[in-house]
Amino acid sequence: MADVKLTIAGRPYDLHCEDGQESQLVELAAVVDEKARAMPGGTEVRQLLFAALMLADDAQDAKGKIEKSEPQSDSLRAAVALAESREAAAREELRAAVAREQAAFKELEAARQNAPAASPTANPSNNRALLQIADRIEALAAKVEQLP
Amino acid sequence: MELDLDESSLAIGRIERALSRIEKSLADRANRPESAAAAVPADQSALKAEVAAVIGELDRLIAEADRG
Repeated sequence: MADVKLTIAGRPYDLHCEDGQESQLVELAAVVDEKARAMPGGTEVRQLLFAALMLADDAQDAKGKIEKSEPQSDSLRAAVALAESREAAAREELRAAVAREQAAFKELEAARQNAPAASPTANPSNNRALLQIADRIEALAAKVEQLP
Repeated sequence: MELDLDESSLAIGRIERALSRIEKSLADRANRPESAAAAVPADQSALKAEVAAVIGELDRLIAEADRG
């Protein structure tokens, strides 16, 4: 196993991979990092989310073009495999973003519970915003579930 | 409309359940290779925009909570 140090969206990561695959891993990380940096000014979670969405978009575009051309050559089949691997990576990033949002919610709830003086009447507008966000995320969940 | 803590907790519970639904749906899609077929681009753009808007609103709320 080889150790690889990556930096994506400003955060360092220590990963392991099979010997000989280090350069491939570094190249893939560079693609993700480039996408993340294309959305400056946001939070790390938002940068990674946009990177995941853009990579998923790239992967789907690539796959659609390849399917239309009915690939016969080895090079085109390799491109399909690459697109699928990037799409899988993008979905993994999106799942990670969802997990981070869930963690952020837990932090928000913990902060609210640890501040009883500010709780009952403090921010009714925030409570209304939470309800509106719940409506919107439930609508998003329905849309994601209906994706083909 | 006056909301209390219980109602905000209910809202957070709804948000967590909706996020779990999204996570499960994504996991299911990842396990279906044929599902890689592209979504309609216009729908996908709208979905991206809505995700960005909701996350922006969440960021704002979390920042307010951090400020107390």
